[in-house]
Amino acid sequence: MLRNARTRLIFASILLSSVVTVLVLSVVYVTTNVIIEQETRSVVEAEIAGLADDYERLGLPGLAAAIDRRVLSSTKQDAIYLLTDHRGRSISGNLGVWPSSIKPGGGWVELELVRTDSDERVPISAVSISFENNARLLVGRDASGRQKFDRILVQSAGWALIAAFVLSSITSWLLTRLIFSRISEISDTADTIVSGDFARRIPVRGTGDEFDRLAITLNDMLERIEELVKNLQLTTNSLAHDLRSPLTRLRTHLDTLVLDNADQEQRDKAGKRALEEVDHLLRVFANLTEIARAEARLPKSDFDIVDVDALVSDAVELYAPIGDERDINVHAVGAAEPIEGHRALLMQVLSNLLENALRHSPNNSEIVVKLYDHPESLELVISDKGPGMPNAFIQNATRPFQTLDVSRSNPGSGLGLALVAAVARMHDGDVQLKNANPGFDVTVSLARGHTKK
Amino acid sequence: MSRRILVVEDDLETLDFITKGFEAQGYVVETATNGRDGLYLATNGALDALVLDRMLPELDGLSLVQSVRAAGINTPILMLTAMSAVDERVRGLRAGADDYLVKPFSFQELDARIEALMRRPQDQSDNRMLSCADLVMDLERRSVTRAGRALVLTPREFQILEYFLRRVNRVITRTMLLEGIWDYSFDPHTNIIDVHISKLRRELDAPGEFQMIKTVRSAGYIMSDAD
Repeated sequence: MLRNARTRLIFASILLSSVVTVLVLSVVYVTTNVIIEQETRSVVEAEIAGLADDYERLGLPGLAAAIDRRVLSSTKQDAIYLLTDHRGRSISGNLGVWPSSIKPGGGWVELELVRTDSDERVPISAVSISFENNARLLVGRDASGRQKFDRILVQSAGWALIAAFVLSSITSWLLTRLIFSRISEISDTADTIVSGDFARRIPVRGTGDEFDRLAITLNDMLERIEELVKNLQLTTNSLAHDLRSPLTRLRTHLDTLVLDNADQEQRDKAGKRALEEVDHLLRVFANLTEIARAEARLPKSDFDIVDVDALVSDAVELYAPIGDERDINVHAVGAAEPIEGHRALLMQVLSNLLENALRHSPNNSEIVVKLYDHPESLELVISDKGPGMPNAFIQNATRPFQTLDVSRSNPGSGLGLALVAAVARMHDGDVQLKNANPGFDVTVSLARGHTKK
Repeated sequence: MSRRILVVEDDLETLDFITKGFEAQGYVVETATNGRDGLYLATNGALDALVLDRMLPELDGLSLVQSVRAAGINTPILMLTAMSAVDERVRGLRAGADDYLVKPFSFQELDARIEALMRRPQDQSDNRMLSCADLVMDLERRSVTRAGRALVLTPREFQILEYFLRRVNRVITRTMLLEGIWDYSFDPHTNIIDVHISKLRRELDAPGEFQMIKTVRSAGYIMSDAD
């Protein structure tokens, strides 16, 4: 049973609170007793000194009268007095006879005696003195009241202990129920996810407590995992689908090559086509590898300080002549401080976006690369005057193998934007696509890393 | 004396493909199929160039490069890799390789790069003039003339032309240009380099003059001093 964490917690809590209660009550008991005893003794000692004084001033008869008065006084129910002559015969007080075990002047004693006023045998704590004529005086206190108090104290300590036991049982049970119900919610969710339901999330109660924060963090993690798994499934499906057509074409070309009745010209053509198909396939794989590496968010050891201004102007300079051929003016505006990033992959991003923009721009238009500098990030906007994308397509456009061209005769592999998105995520950023009517805006934001103060 | 080249590659078909290609070019080719044999051959014999695979049994390509360099051998080394990632290139060059080529490659690309490695650019900077046939480049005054006619070039076109002038009669591939001129190793999906070259050609060749920068089919370009 103790293998169960919850039972262990409850037991530990009960044990701990019981031990603490017992300790506290013992301390209270002991200190109370000590204090009461000291108090009693000092009162009795003061009394005996007062009575000795009376004896000095008034002699034995005066002392006896004083004792009688005290015995009769109702405020001192627990006071015990005994004044005897030198032979131990009682002169005054509420005890019958001088107990043989008490030597006068011998300090404090505890014993049981019979009170003459109540005829009860009671526990007594007393001190005694003797006078010069061998008369003796004993003054004490009936301890039965104190013993009763002791009993009550012990009894209430017992109740307190039981109360502590019950309370700690209830609170620890409630507490563990609270904790373990949240934990089992999490583990139930994990079980469901393990068995295949990736959409399940840990319930958030909205209390904003630690468990809620944990649940939110775990849910974010699950979100990302689900996205990756979905992407993987989609990529695998699309890959299988996308590779079928080029492989089929490749097979046709190879068939022509081994065909007996094909002439040299046909063979040359088939060989050239086959090479093109293979190159296309290799490019798809190279792109997939790049995406996978960017997605893996490897340690940023390959990150350098990248001069984004220079990168953009290089890219514009590289692609401007292609634009010129169709009177498309490619130019850059804005400036930004350098960022920490992967230079080659960022250039690939610019290249992919500029190639997309060029492919979709009408003749005699413009493509603008805008740079916006922010303290925490950097924004790169590539705007063209092309037709844009249907809004329904936009949200999936950065997934692998998404292409608007259903026939897929276009040279685009459907991986360009996927790589852009992967590289953006690698730089803790993202990609946003927007129809600008007319035209199309792609915004890539990149986190600055540690480059800005 | 014919030039000697060592190829270390564990894939026999690739090894055969490279060996046949280099032999057809008149090289003497030595081969090894693992890193240890490769290191032995590389450190025991006069070689003009080394072609190493990145992933090799017994001793991987990176360690092989490091060992060869540690032995004080400065023979040009070209690494081959199946890993396309751009940073692999940086890692290979840091280890001491001179160039890097991603598999699969065309033999022309490999040949052009090996050629470029073995014949480093002629250092003509002391005479401050580069020339090829009737083309003259004045590096100090940043001016270019062909047959006495001054050419109007952008700084980038000047840079491309200088790159060719330092490698006359040698094949230069598109990726070599992209890496050498723009210093980027990325994969453009369009023919950007061709567009830049044809722009340069329009300025370079007046009617009646021979085409100075010629296209080499499925390889790249070559600047020749005669038609």
